[in-house]
Amino acid sequence: MADRRFSVRHLPGVSGIALITFVVLYTPVLILVIYAFNAGPVIGRWEGFSLRWFTAALENAAFRNAARNSLIVASVAGLVATLCATLAALATTRGRRFRGEGGIYLVLNQPLLVPEIVLAVALMILLAQIKQATGYHGLGWLIIAHSTFCIPFAYMPIRARLEGMDLTLETAAMDLYASRFYTFRRVTLPLMAPGVLAGFMLAFVISLDNVVVSTFVKSPGQETLPTYLMGELRRNLSSEIYAISALLLFASVAVVAASWLITRRKP
Amino acid sequence: MLEVQSLSKTFGIGASAYHALRAVDVTIAEGEFFTLLGPSGCGKTTLLRLIAGFEQPTAGRLVLDERDIAAIPPNRRPVNTVFQNYALFPHLSVAQNVGFGLEAQRRPATEVKARVAEMLDLVQMGHLRDRRSSELSGGQQQRVALARALAPKPRILLLDEPLSALDLKLRKDMQTELKRLQQETGLTFIFVTHDQDEALTMSDRIAVMEGGRLQQVATPRTLYDDPANRFVAGFIGDTNFLQGEARGGSVTLAGLPPAPLAGANARSGPVTVLVRPEHVVIGHSVPQALQVEGRVERLVFSGTDTHVHLRLGQGETLVARTQNSLHSGTALEQGAAVNAFLPLEALRLLPDEAAHG
Ligand SMILES: Nc1ncnc2c1ncn2[C@@H]1O[C@H](COP(=O)(O)OP(=O)(O)OP(=O)(O)O)[C@@H](O)[C@H]1O
Ligand SMILES: [Mg+2]
Repeated sequence: MADRRFSVRHLPGVSGIALITFVVLYTPVLILVIYAFNAGPVIGRWEGFSLRWFTAALENAAFRNAARNSLIVASVAGLVATLCATLAALATTRGRRFRGEGGIYLVLNQPLLVPEIVLAVALMILLAQIKQATGYHGLGWLIIAHSTFCIPFAYMPIRARLEGMDLTLETAAMDLYASRFYTFRRVTLPLMAPGVLAGFMLAFVISLDNVVVSTFVKSPGQETLPTYLMGELRRNLSSEIYAISALLLFASVAVVAASWLITRRKP
Repeated sequence: MLEVQSLSKTFGIGASAYHALRAVDVTIAEGEFFTLLGPSGCGKTTLLRLIAGFEQPTAGRLVLDERDIAAIPPNRRPVNTVFQNYALFPHLSVAQNVGFGLEAQRRPATEVKARVAEMLDLVQMGHLRDRRSSELSGGQQQRVALARALAPKPRILLLDEPLSALDLKLRKDMQTELKRLQQETGLTFIFVTHDQDEALTMSDRIAVMEGGRLQQVATPRTLYDDPANRFVAGFIGDTNFLQGEARGGSVTLAGLPPAPLAGANARSGPVTVLVRPEHVVIGHSVPQALQVEGRVERLVFSGTDTHVHLRLGQGETLVARTQNSLHSGTALEQGAAVNAFLPLEALRLLPDEAAHG
């Protein structure tokens, strides 16, 4: 008995609480996914399996437009955020401490420091002026806004990856006549790549399901998937919304699972 | 030929400054197997990193082939390193690792290919050329690291405790192999270790370091037979230190008749005399020797030898090493009174420490 180490699992009731938590977290999502495949239009009454709501959604031009916007914003904002995060991670894990290093953390923690709604309102006020002045009402504003709050999410896996990397590898490359750039291209970059990819995917997902900032920043008539869903919900609660939500869910799960698989892979 | 001229390295500044190297002076000859030996923290790695160019000297010069190389960055120094943890690139294959240095120099692909094959043959790793380097055993990684450092044909190969991560058996094999490689290639090796046996068996010359200073630079034989100071004598092999008095060209050890010793002429006053345990003779008299009386305090069996710890009349201890051969005479017993003989030839007068700082 003496050698049985303490484990929280052996405390009475812990597995029960875990089970309840699991059920509470996933039951609503499960119900949503199930009813997305319902043949009938009424929620709560199962009328058999069908893909009709998915077909309807895909034929809906407004949905297709929102989906296209969401994918563009998430991809471009994800790329921009990943680039900034990669540079920030390299700066904070490689080389000496430098003046302004604190500034990087200020940038990285902005989403934690500033409540999202405050950021959204601030962006709306500022961008309203700029939009009027420039006359540009495209997706660019959404992309800029999304890029900012995606940076920290992209930064985390990249930094973790860089910290796990052996610094003598870069020293060894330099010893073997590699220039700084060659070292980066042949050693640092390939070794940090899984972290960068994971960072991008995380940023992508975060951007994909953002509602608050998108709602305040988007120009009239512009919709992303989440804002489109919000709008539709106010009008009518149809099973098509369930199907669209399910699609969004599948996309997120696929990206997160992929990023998890990539980061888990050994160097 | 590499000349290290009053090379110093200080980490930090002001009160927290740490002098890792203090005015190191040494010349390493062409094709030499040169070993840096010393306790942990004495500055071995620091000296190696300075030669490789990973650190800048605080003072002094590094002259390779009559050229000061201190200002040349590491990626342009004709010097390669075998790192202690090997530092193989985990995402590259064995062959790609070995070819890295040549590719970084933009050598033609055919040359790279030929040289990689040659190097892999040299370290007997040809059959694993496409293996990921992260999927190799310790000994195999060691060979690849060696091949990778040799491939660009450096002027000097630096090896920082390359064998310390291997188990004893493999270490012995790799010692032989390293020595063979060094002799076959005729390359200058600067080898770091804190294992004195490794240093003694492999090196042409050894530099014993302590506290950022070179204590003595000499062949293994000279280091062992004529240590320059007490630190070297104590660090290399086992030894007995006996206190004595020098006067008129001879040395008197407590309670014994004066004995003429080499170097005693120039000295007067208290001195330390050194005698290696294997030179102490117990049980039968030898000519030209000092005779001391003692009592066997402890017997330590170590396979081929027995270490006999004697308590001398004056309270000093003396360790003798006797071989456990079949004809080594009557066995000694604890508590027995014995006569031990110290051959004059084997007695070394340690130089005056004060005069050497
Ligand atoms: N970058 C550094 N900054 C500050 N001090 C350092 C630095 N590098 C080395 N030192 C100090 O210099 C001294 C010599 O270090 P070095 O690594 O050369 O020792 P070593 O002889 O290689 O020891 P070991 O056998 O343990 O590897 C140590 O006391 C170490 O703490
Ligand atoms: Mg070291």
